[in-house]
Amino acid sequence: MAFRFKKQIFGFMDLIRFTKLVDKRRAKLENAPATPLPVTYRVNETAKILHPAPLTVKLVGIVKDSPDTKTYTFELPQKAFFRAGQYAVLRAKIGDSLVSRPYAISSSPYTALNDGKVSLTIKKSGYFSSYMFDKAKEGDEFTLSLPFGNFFYESVKDCPHIVGIAGGSGITPFYSMIKGIEEGSEDFKLTLFYGAKTANDLVFKDELDKVSNDKIKIVYVLSDEKSDGYENGFISADIIKKYVDGDFTAMLCGPNAMYNFVDAELAKMGVSGKFVKHEANCTASRDVKPKTYKLTVHIQDEVYTVEADAADTILTSMERAGLSVPARCRAGGCGFCHSKLVSGKFSIAGADKRRLADSKFGYIHPCCSYPDSDMELIVPRG
Amino acid sequence: MDKYDAVVIGGGNGGLVAAIRLLQGGAKVLLVEKHNLPGGFATSFKRGRFEFEASLHELNDFGTKDNAGDVRDLFDALGVTDKIDWTEIPEAYRVISREEKIDATMPFGIKAFIDKMESYVPGSRRSMEKFFELAKTIHAAQAYSNSVNGATDKKVMLSKYANFVRVGSYSVNEVLDALKMPKKAKDILNAYWCYLGAHCDDLSFIHYASMVYRYITKGASMPKMRSHEISLALVERIRELGGDVWFNTEAVKILTGNDGIEGVVLNGGKTIQTRHVIANCAPHLVYGKMIDNVPERIVKATNARKFAGRGLTMFLGLNKSADELGIENHNYFLYDTMDSKKQYELMKKISTNKVQATVCLNRAYPECSPKGTCMMYFTTLFMEDDWGNVSAKDYFKVKDEYVKVMIDRFEKDTGSKISDSIEEISLATPMTYAHYCGHPEGDIYGYESQYWDGLTPRLLMMNEDYQNGIRGLRFAGGYSMRLSGYSSAYFSGDISGRQTVGDIKREG
Ligand SMILES: Cc1cc2nc3c(=O)[nH]c(=O)nc-3n(C[C@H](O)[C@H](O)[C@H](O)COP(=O)(O)OP(=O)(O)OC[C@H]3O[C@@H](n4cnc5c(N)ncnc54)[C@H](O)[C@@H]3O)c2cc1C
Ligand code: FES
Repeated sequence: MAFRFKKQIFGFMDLIRFTKLVDKRRAKLENAPATPLPVTYRVNETAKILHPAPLTVKLVGIVKDSPDTKTYTFELPQKAFFRAGQYAVLRAKIGDSLVSRPYAISSSPYTALNDGKVSLTIKKSGYFSSYMFDKAKEGDEFTLSLPFGNFFYESVKDCPHIVGIAGGSGITPFYSMIKGIEEGSEDFKLTLFYGAKTANDLVFKDELDKVSNDKIKIVYVLSDEKSDGYENGFISADIIKKYVDGDFTAMLCGPNAMYNFVDAELAKMGVSGKFVKHEANCTASRDVKPKTYKLTVHIQDEVYTVEADAADTILTSMERAGLSVPARCRAGGCGFCHSKLVSGKFSIAGADKRRLADSKFGYIHPCCSYPDSDMELIVPRG
Repeated sequence: MDKYDAVVIGGGNGGLVAAIRLLQGGAKVLLVEKHNLPGGFATSFKRGRFEFEASLHELNDFGTKDNAGDVRDLFDALGVTDKIDWTEIPEAYRVISREEKIDATMPFGIKAFIDKMESYVPGSRRSMEKFFELAKTIHAAQAYSNSVNGATDKKVMLSKYANFVRVGSYSVNEVLDALKMPKKAKDILNAYWCYLGAHCDDLSFIHYASMVYRYITKGASMPKMRSHEISLALVERIRELGGDVWFNTEAVKILTGNDGIEGVVLNGGKTIQTRHVIANCAPHLVYGKMIDNVPERIVKATNARKFAGRGLTMFLGLNKSADELGIENHNYFLYDTMDSKKQYELMKKISTNKVQATVCLNRAYPECSPKGTCMMYFTTLFMEDDWGNVSAKDYFKVKDEYVKVMIDRFEKDTGSKISDSIEEISLATPMTYAHYCGHPEGDIYGYESQYWDGLTPRLLMMNEDYQNGIRGLRFAGGYSMRLSGYSSAYFSGDISGRQTVGDIKREG
């Protein structure tokens, strides 16, 4: 049933129209204006504020919040914006090592958007944080990348009442949320349980005491101190019930031990699954028999051979050796350190958070993997 | 200084295939990708217990071993088909326009498709048969054109593929009207139009018909591990063939001299010497900021072109199964009106765009998310730069509002209730696409398939475009001669890769 397509009365007009397609396009291309092509576009400019490229920033303020914690304020070369609760990655050259760490942003979203400033609140605890605590001074330059992570209020899936659970330096994202609620960039009700050993360890205590906002309630919970105006013990179901009723989404930021305890308490209250959100913690080193392996690392057209301590993550060994390699969450979840395994054996700390096809094609996340043999990797440039 | 026969800028679908073709042609190749992952949009991301597909709704023209489509043939030739686990999409689509009382679920297979259409629109059979007959000729003509690398013989075209030439200059609606197709059948048949991003008064019939033909005769497939699996398979192949792939590496400048391409400057300052570049990015970016002293002729030709749809996708991880939620189908087209011209106008503004092409991946691949859950993604296009009017300050609020619009539309049109079951949610806007892939205005569809700049004129002018450009510079991906979409982007990489192999032989 072959048929002959005919649109014009005689059919051959259709053929002529076809042969004109090229002439038409040629004329369009030749006759367009010669105005210079745009160098950028509005959406792309907004995208730069929402997702800046790594920025060279200047440390412009240091405030000591507690005996072991300081807040560092950085001046950005541009404006930035984020959702209160998200983190930034601070990178510095320490000796021969190029090292970075993720830190929740403690300042408010509008401070970044209007003043181009971001604050991080860091507790002295190890290699990088000690460097910051002891050595960093105003005027120093760092590289800062931001914002990352999903630890923020999501109006579509979360209850409009957030129960925040902060342990120690885990207060930082909530401090940003509190400022955000006060300034109007965030809109939800927050009941914050802030746990610490003693009242002296409560970072931002003075500032938090000054907060007066219908949407915000703060409860201090001290494990090693009993005094008026403070709850005593760990953050338990009983304590939470005393202050909260109705539906809520719990957001937890603190050490893993706190997560284990509080998750169980929340489960007792029937709160679990999508109603409990955790911020990740950096992968720590592991306890193994001392051993060093040889790590061969390809970055672009360079090949490096470095030592890898069996106890350290592969990422740490590369950084220690002074290689510039990508890192963000250091918890296995963001995939930014995604590297191709050429050969060698490794173990993953905790759950395997890689994409399915990554395991299939032999990609690993060096931030949460330890070497179990000599290894060879192809790593993106950092 | 590093020296390569060719540098591929961008590891999206077009760039990855181009690199393999170059390597198969014996060239020494470097592919640079500014992101830390390959694939461009062809990737996945994890949220909690879900791994979301970033963009692929369904890969058309793949087919099965016994009924191979062109993409499968290409993947066979590239040596990647067996590196990927595939699953087949169960049916073509479900299209709904609540306003216009259209709700049709269409199957794959020409006969089944025509029968189903007849059941929805009695009396449509004859025009549908003619449609598929035309589409078949178009497909055959395209295969012939590819086999001679675009250098078609007029006589052959007129004797064997006369209908191709006859319909070649018309829009979708012009041809369907000439076939006297009933309005409702046209509406249902045109449902795929948003995949091509131009309305049916403007969109070339050839382009549309060949796409529909490929879908309906070859079905559609999906890699089980999301499109990330395809992208990693392609990278694996590049490395097997001795090619270099550098991630987190952005080409910031393309160096040119009297004899065209001379090199590429990378972020971090490294310069690569090369005489050939395949750019898997927008000519607007290449000529707007990567090359100095662009000839006026090229500036004009670039200015002539129009950006296609700017993308937006909402991803939902749901804590109930598709059955429990009453999500019946794999993919939905939800429109306000089946008049694509009117719908196109509504898609210009955030306040009026409620169109969505929605996928529930579990309906094609039940194991894609944990038992008792399901995973969906909802995509739309903006036909104007309205997101350019959104300030950073308002951005999160506009996003939150828009999410509600999308969920509401889906619930009202399909009757399923999803809003209470959202465990994970993410919304990618034009800003997100601008950030990840660098495209102007967050455009995800390259240059629009306008009447004058449609598939046929682009293919007919492929060589002329190269001659009028810069020696040694070719393009791949959604902005190039095959237009946007996964298969098209793969084909563009195939074409530009093979042509560059020829260029290297000819031009050194
Ligand atoms: C999302 C997120 C948000 C966070 N927010 C905060 C916050 O707001 N405030 C806060 O205080 N903390 C925060 N943290 C924790 C923070 O990122 C660090 O884990 C913490 O500061 C401890 O880092 P450290 O280097 O001081 O200690 P460690 O990580 O314990 O330092 C020791 C590590 O450094 C390695 N190392 C030793 N020598 C070298 C060398 N020469 N070169 C390279 N590496 C070496 C060691 O092998 C060891 O692995 C957050 C973590 C995450 C994941
Ligand atoms: S840095 Fe996030 S996964 Fe390794």
